[in-house]
Amino acid sequence: MTTESPTATVIATPANEKPQDSATTAALELEHVSYSYTKGGKRVLIDKNYVFHAGRVIAITGPSGAGKTTLLSLLSGLTTPTKGRVLHNGEDLAKADRYRFRSHDIGVIFQSFNLLPALTVAENIMLSMDASGKAFDRPKKEIAAELIAKVRLQPEYLNERILHLSGGEQQRVAIARALSYDPQIILADEPTGNLDLATQDDIMAIFKDLAHREGKCVIIVTHSPEVAAQSDEVFQLAPLRER
Amino acid sequence: MFVLNNAWKTVIRNKGRNILIVLIVAIIAAAATIGLAIRSAADNARETGLANTSVTATISVDRSKLMEQAREASSSDSSGDSSSDTAAPDFDSMRSALEDSSLTLADYQKYEKASSVPVSSYYSESTGVSGTDSFQPVESSSANAANSSDSTGSSDADAGNGQGMQAPDGGQNMGGRGDGPGNMMTSGDFTLTGFSSDAAIANAANGSFTMSSGSVFGYDESDNGKVIISKTLADFNNLSVGDTITVTNPSDTSLTYTLTICGIYENSTSSNTNAMGPMGGTSQDADNAIYTSVSTLQSLGLDADTTANDDNDNTTTQLNYTYALSSADDYETFASDVAAAGLDDTYTVQSADVEQYESSLVPLDNLAKFALTLLIVVLAVGAVVLVVLNLFNIRERKYEVGVLTAIGVKKAKVAAQFVIELLIVTMCGIALGVAGGAVASVPVSNQLLASQVSAQESEASSQQQQFGRAADMGGGPGGAAGSSPSTGASNGSDSSDSDSTSDNGNISSGSTANSRDARSGGPFGMNRAVDYVSEINATVNLAVVGQLILIGLGLTLISALVGIVFVMRYEPLQILADRS
Repeated sequence: MTTESPTATVIATPANEKPQDSATTAALELEHVSYSYTKGGKRVLIDKNYVFHAGRVIAITGPSGAGKTTLLSLLSGLTTPTKGRVLHNGEDLAKADRYRFRSHDIGVIFQSFNLLPALTVAENIMLSMDASGKAFDRPKKEIAAELIAKVRLQPEYLNERILHLSGGEQQRVAIARALSYDPQIILADEPTGNLDLATQDDIMAIFKDLAHREGKCVIIVTHSPEVAAQSDEVFQLAPLRER
Repeated sequence: MFVLNNAWKTVIRNKGRNILIVLIVAIIAAAATIGLAIRSAADNARETGLANTSVTATISVDRSKLMEQAREASSSDSSGDSSSDTAAPDFDSMRSALEDSSLTLADYQKYEKASSVPVSSYYSESTGVSGTDSFQPVESSSANAANSSDSTGSSDADAGNGQGMQAPDGGQNMGGRGDGPGNMMTSGDFTLTGFSSDAAIANAANGSFTMSSGSVFGYDESDNGKVIISKTLADFNNLSVGDTITVTNPSDTSLTYTLTICGIYENSTSSNTNAMGPMGGTSQDADNAIYTSVSTLQSLGLDADTTANDDNDNTTTQLNYTYALSSADDYETFASDVAAAGLDDTYTVQSADVEQYESSLVPLDNLAKFALTLLIVVLAVGAVVLVVLNLFNIRERKYEVGVLTAIGVKKAKVAAQFVIELLIVTMCGIALGVAGGAVASVPVSNQLLASQVSAQESEASSQQQQFGRAADMGGGPGGAAGSSPSTGASNGSDSSDSDSTSDNGNISSGSTANSRDARSGGPFGMNRAVDYVSEINATVNLAVVGQLILIGLGLTLISALVGIVFVMRYEPLQILADRS
């Protein structure tokens, strides 16, 4: 199902690691995907085809109502297409264990972050690590601390409740969480929406680094032209003509 | 592990809410503990109370049934000639039916052999004898007068075992009055009672006694003619051990019996000496009881079999046959064995011990019923409260469910986590509740039991009061005039109408009780003082704790079901809509 080794490698990979040759392999693939929320209802996506390669940053853009969020939920395995298939490493997601896919293979940064407000930053990150069921070669708290540093948050944030964090800070925690269990695919919904320009660049740098140096497939849903410009590919969703 | 960890962390995190749930569960658990403890104590008392103590049983006539049969028989074969059948009962046929109903010694022994459980038996035969000039019964009219107004005090009706009530003509029980003394049993001045063994004497109707001089007779023929008399009687007649007394047949004074006093006894229970009141006749006085062996009675021709076959003799000897069984279970088996052995269904096997014990358990039974109600109510309310709390709790945590499922935690795991959280909390509550309930159960249950006992006692005493007034309907030959109609009338004069009707109701039920209790207890079945079980040891044992944990698990699962259903129906996609 996945190509990775059973014991996942740690995020902070040595700087000298070569860009993976997996740049051409398809991590996720849309195959004639159509989607409607209700059976026989309005179709939000019609016959979409796209191949998301590993090692690249792909921006999905489009006006509101073009189905960006829907595509995100399809790619993240939250739901399955009404027509067509979403393939992960060549396997139909509709038939796969999507819970495992979500916990193991893909890191999703939701637009609303979906962090647990009652938990601390570290707890939120470790929760995802626990949920992935992966084994880690270092204490989870240590990994969490590293990730916090990576998204440029102060180490003292580790034991702060999400409740006490600003939108931008929460966004970074969400990114850290998505990276915590070293998924092959990173899926971000408007990851820079709440961030100032400088931080945006920071975040984009992280994403690019993940794709280019660690060979991950980074998919960013955005309406920001800057983000799109910094991406390797842009998947333009045309506004729906139907109705 | 992940689930457990998460559940534990969540429980710790939501202290306030969980403490509230713990308290609620603790209260429910404490109430349930008390309820269960009471029930188990009641069950325990019921099971162990008679399990290893010997039980005595008697076979007695179900007179109401017998009379019913007689009535049916007479109405069927005398429908033509007796026009006023319904108005006046056919006393003669009933009487003859009742007379035929006495079992003989051989019958009793036959049933004893029919038993599949070990049973021993003893019996006594009582008859009336009259005094002579030289030997007079103890009489104390002043004591009688005092007693008639104090029926509660002398409620132990054992003394009533006497033959007056047992007279096979059953006149007083059927409301027959004024049929003349000829049909009533002649009771004489003394009660001459023959016993089959020491066990029979130990269970003498007048209660236990101590020998003040001499010793109790033997049961062989060699000891024939030996009697023991009460100290009062001995003093009254200035007799001592070794003296002889002469008594006569009450219906034929020319027939005399000479007896030798081999011992003088003193009744240790004196309260019942005059229980029969003014109507009892002197033979009812416990002091006028002469004890001898069955063998003596046989030699005098006064034993039950002889007198029963002797139609001319109005003296009737009452056979009082008692089976001794080793446990209450054996008693049940014995009862069914006897029925299988061909005992007519107009007879019932009864055990005064078991009945007494049963009635002593009435408050406990009521308490157990109350405890069951409490338990059901508490559990129902508890279940509802827990379900509602959990429902709100889970709805509040919708977002958490969304996040967890979105990051790929399986719904089953999320549901399991919620169940475990609830389990942790409810188990804490149950532990607290059991501890509290255990501490409270003994005083609370005894308090509850005490109120039940007093309720029972006041009910019994009010019955006794009514019955005490009506008591002159029963008793010996002299009391025949005071049968129920007149009692009802006299009652009506000093109490309200409703009172007198309820009185009548009581009287009729009382007299059925009489006829059924006659052999074992005496006429005042209702008057028997019952030692209610007033203390139970409602301690919480492992079984109760186990039951509670099961109940707790059940309740938790019921309320967790809400959460499980909620989680299972949650679609991860919803998380996109659930934005906090």
